[in-house]
Amino acid sequence: MSIGKGILEIKNLSKSFIVDNNPLQVLNDINITIPPGNFVSIIGSSGCGKTTLLRIVLGLETNYEGDALIDGEQIEGPGINRGIVFQDHRLLPWLTVGENVAFGLDGKSRKETEVIVDEHLKLVGLNGFKSAYPCQLSGGMAQRAAIARALANKPEILLLDEPLGSLDAMTRMHMQKELERIWLFEKITMILVTHDVEEAIYLGDKVVIMSSRPGVIKKIIDIPFTRPRDRSSYEFMQIKSEILEEFHLGVEHPFIYSI
Amino acid sequence: MSKSLLKRFEWKDKLLALIVPLLVLVAWQSAVSLQLFSEMILVPPLTVMNTLVDLARTGDLTNNIISSLKRVLSGFLLGASTGFFLGLLMGLSSLLDRFVGPLIKACKQVPQFALMPLIILWFGIDEVSKVVFISIGAFFPMVFNTYQGVSGVPKKYRELARVFNYKSFRYLTKVILPGALPSIITGVRHSLGLSWMFVVGAELFGSESGVGYMMVWARQLFQIDIVMAGLFVIGIIGFTMNIILQIIEKRVLRWRVSFDGRMA
Repeated sequence: MSIGKGILEIKNLSKSFIVDNNPLQVLNDINITIPPGNFVSIIGSSGCGKTTLLRIVLGLETNYEGDALIDGEQIEGPGINRGIVFQDHRLLPWLTVGENVAFGLDGKSRKETEVIVDEHLKLVGLNGFKSAYPCQLSGGMAQRAAIARALANKPEILLLDEPLGSLDAMTRMHMQKELERIWLFEKITMILVTHDVEEAIYLGDKVVIMSSRPGVIKKIIDIPFTRPRDRSSYEFMQIKSEILEEFHLGVEHPFIYSI
Repeated sequence: MSKSLLKRFEWKDKLLALIVPLLVLVAWQSAVSLQLFSEMILVPPLTVMNTLVDLARTGDLTNNIISSLKRVLSGFLLGASTGFFLGLLMGLSSLLDRFVGPLIKACKQVPQFALMPLIILWFGIDEVSKVVFISIGAFFPMVFNTYQGVSGVPKKYRELARVFNYKSFRYLTKVILPGALPSIITGVRHSLGLSWMFVVGAELFGSESGVGYMMVWARQLFQIDIVMAGLFVIGIIGFTMNIILQIIEKRVLRWRVSFDGRMA
């Protein structure tokens, strides 16, 4: 573990796509610095460019204006210092769970690979499923395997693109706890893009609120609560309604009491 | 559903598949018994059976089958490998696809039997022309299925490979080829099936051995029993090839789930 590595600095970042020969600005003047080991949640309605932002950090979208720096170096393409978990698990169906977790490992001996795979399957709670095929896993288990795959390379930054978006509500809450446990264990930077306000608060040290057309950062809210967090506490609910307010979804007279 | 029950169902299916052939056999025998046709034209099933046994005993049949299979193998290997590589390249490079794709599609529309006179003109009447003819038959299903498989590997997996810095060889062997494999295997099956049909066709055009040759020669001598025995052999061998490939397919594509949730 490299303490102090994995600082992400985004300065005056803008990005536009060409749609029907016209430029469409998806990100406009984004500025944020994420120190190593932080957990940052990004929320916003669809089309606010949050996924594009993630893809820029990942290195899949280039040709941006401004700076996107990791440890001071401009991002020019994908690299193993960043890992990604997509919304769909994207496990290769023709590889076993173990082979999928080893997918990103390169130039390691068979023995080393074996050790890393076992270690990470254990971390995500999938020991015993090494030789299963992805089609035999439930949605939550497949997403665990995808997390193991992303972590196997020991990235400095783990990007999570709505990783729990397709899971049912109960599995989702459980996986949020699991993500928190994994984050506390790995001590790496995690950036989570989500639609779910509660998820963003539950996991984030900071919640970044984005608004759309073009995508800008509207507000950054610090979440000062200790972990593990209580979703039903008064403070939690208050921050939640504060964020919902940003999306004009707030209730006019919140009816919350703390006794 | 328990496994034994499932097995029994499969057996039942196999028995059901025998009903129609048996009915055909009964109809055939009845037509012979009722003397609807001359026995010269419609040979009784039993006579065909006896002829088959005789042919097998003299070793003629085995020799002819072996020389046909040799041609199939060379033609298939030549045509299918060419088709595979071209399909792979077309699937990987849309530029190449735009260059040669339409041409290949156009060529496929030409009935390949129409090429036989030209092939004989160019390659002579002996083995080479037969192998070339078979390879043309083997080429088309392979090129199209490989192309479809390779270009159909979902973008999300290609992107994943990019994220993990997969380069050429590793990308090809770990992502593209396994993803295209179901389609490639379909290509192999069709390709081999067509090779087997084409060998018989090629042998009809003049040769000194092979199952097709055996049939032409028998027809000229009006030995219809041998012609029918030949048909039977062709059918059985084609069927066996297909079954073997199906078994291989099942093993190689273990990771696919059939619709009822069982592993394929």
